[in-house]
Amino acid sequence: MRLPSNPWLRTAYARLWVRAKSIYGEPLWVAVNIGFPFFTSFSLTMVYRAYGLNSFTGFAILGGVMISFWGNVLWSMASQFNWDKQVGLFEIYISSPAPISAILVGMSLGGILGTAPSAAMVALLGWAIFHPPINAVWPAVISVFALTLASLYAMGMALSSLYLAYGREADSVNEALHEPVSLISGVYFPSTGGLSPFPLAVQAGASLIPLTLGMDALRRTLFFGQGFGEFYLDLELLALAVMGVALLFASSKALKFLENKGRRTGTIAVRQR
Amino acid sequence: MSSLRAMVASVRVGWYREFNWTNPLVGFTLRTVGPLASVIAASTVYYVGSINNVPPSFNPSLLAFILIGAALYAHVAAYSWVPTLAIAEGKWTYVFPQVYISPHSSLPYLTGRTLASFVTSTLTVIVSLILSFYILSSVFHTNIPFIVTPVSISLLFLAMVVNIFAALGLGLLLSAYALFATKFEWALPTYVAGLLMVFSEALFPVSSLPHPVSDVANVLPFTEFMRASRQAMIYGDMYSYFSYLGLAILGGIIVLALGLLAFRYAENRARRLGVIDKKTA
Repeated sequence: MRLPSNPWLRTAYARLWVRAKSIYGEPLWVAVNIGFPFFTSFSLTMVYRAYGLNSFTGFAILGGVMISFWGNVLWSMASQFNWDKQVGLFEIYISSPAPISAILVGMSLGGILGTAPSAAMVALLGWAIFHPPINAVWPAVISVFALTLASLYAMGMALSSLYLAYGREADSVNEALHEPVSLISGVYFPSTGGLSPFPLAVQAGASLIPLTLGMDALRRTLFFGQGFGEFYLDLELLALAVMGVALLFASSKALKFLENKGRRTGTIAVRQR
Repeated sequence: MSSLRAMVASVRVGWYREFNWTNPLVGFTLRTVGPLASVIAASTVYYVGSINNVPPSFNPSLLAFILIGAALYAHVAAYSWVPTLAIAEGKWTYVFPQVYISPHSSLPYLTGRTLASFVTSTLTVIVSLILSFYILSSVFHTNIPFIVTPVSISLLFLAMVVNIFAALGLGLLLSAYALFATKFEWALPTYVAGLLMVFSEALFPVSSLPHPVSDVANVLPFTEFMRASRQAMIYGDMYSYFSYLGLAILGGIIVLALGLLAFRYAENRARRLGVIDKKTA
């Protein structure tokens, strides 16, 4: 593919290509990546089904799809710069003229492309095995899905700058974050709105996470037949868009701040703390 | 005796590896948050579904069933993959080749690391169970029918100890693969955790699975362990408890024997092929 000699675009494309190639160049990675989301989704779908709650089985399958992306955001976006720093790659990034924002965007797009096959497999297997009841407004589903991913990966970019400041605790923080965020975001059940069992304060706090709004909006469009023009759905779409832009801005500022601080103190390429 | 000393030293290495990067309280908290959240999530899935069912079908006994299963599944998943981790990580940090060249050390090393993780995971699961019990009772406004007496807690602990046989056996089976693997061994734990979630009656009865999968799941030592633990904490039938415990011991010994055989075979073969310190394909 030929790109105009715009360094930002060429950098983003290069980073996207590396990430996508790492998945598609080794198709076994799809089988590897599908393990956790599929089995978790399968088990929780079975919970709904074994106890006679068939109408909710789609929630757990959708959760399995979205947890693939959330895992990718945490492990391949948020902590990526930290790992890059450990192996000396971050030093090359900052000493080259490649814009960091382009690297992050390329990493995100590559991450989405790389996660898509395993997420699609979870969806297809879940649909084939359980036949969940669906009442979808597809244009709205596609828009919500795209906006959720954009917002989620923007959060990954913001977290990546935060993790850059961390040392070896990054992995432990990641492990500690994965489940609690899945819980309060309502990946497998509605954590906000009328069906949520959580107190209002918890729901309000959870709504600050893009995954929460995205999951709720996806459930509305996929299972409850809501489309554009529904007040709450439109509100969630707007909030997702605002969050995406704000997180992009925050990640850019935070990275710049850390880069400048690292240059001043001479610690930007220090590999272990 | 030297094997025992090596095992005790490995237990200490395991704890240092898990907690020495920070102060123990922070380390322990970070390790507890995940299991706690996953226990609450699984229980909430059932609660949300049953409350919004038409007509509502919420049953506190089923909530207790899921709560115990989710906590114990997380416990087993957390420590059964430690031998694999010890090998995979050890290859990258040059620890495992060093362990390997000291005589008769690999098995005590892996066992010690597993036992260290068992203790940590037992503590985190107990804290998760207590916290989730109180959080879910108050959020769902229900009484979760747990039997909380010194006897029931001792029986639960006994079941957890007995399950070490099966978990270590599973860990050694995976280690036999990890000795040769150079890239996908990191993904094994997620598969093991997922398979345990589905086939060990952690969240739903294995009879819900299709035949013959349900027949296989029905005789796994992990399933018997779950059943024994539920008898101790929910149903209180001593005869059933000891029956399930006996089956868990029997199954655990078989899995452990298989694990030992597989690991010994793999170790000899890996030595002949010279892949003990191999890191890339």
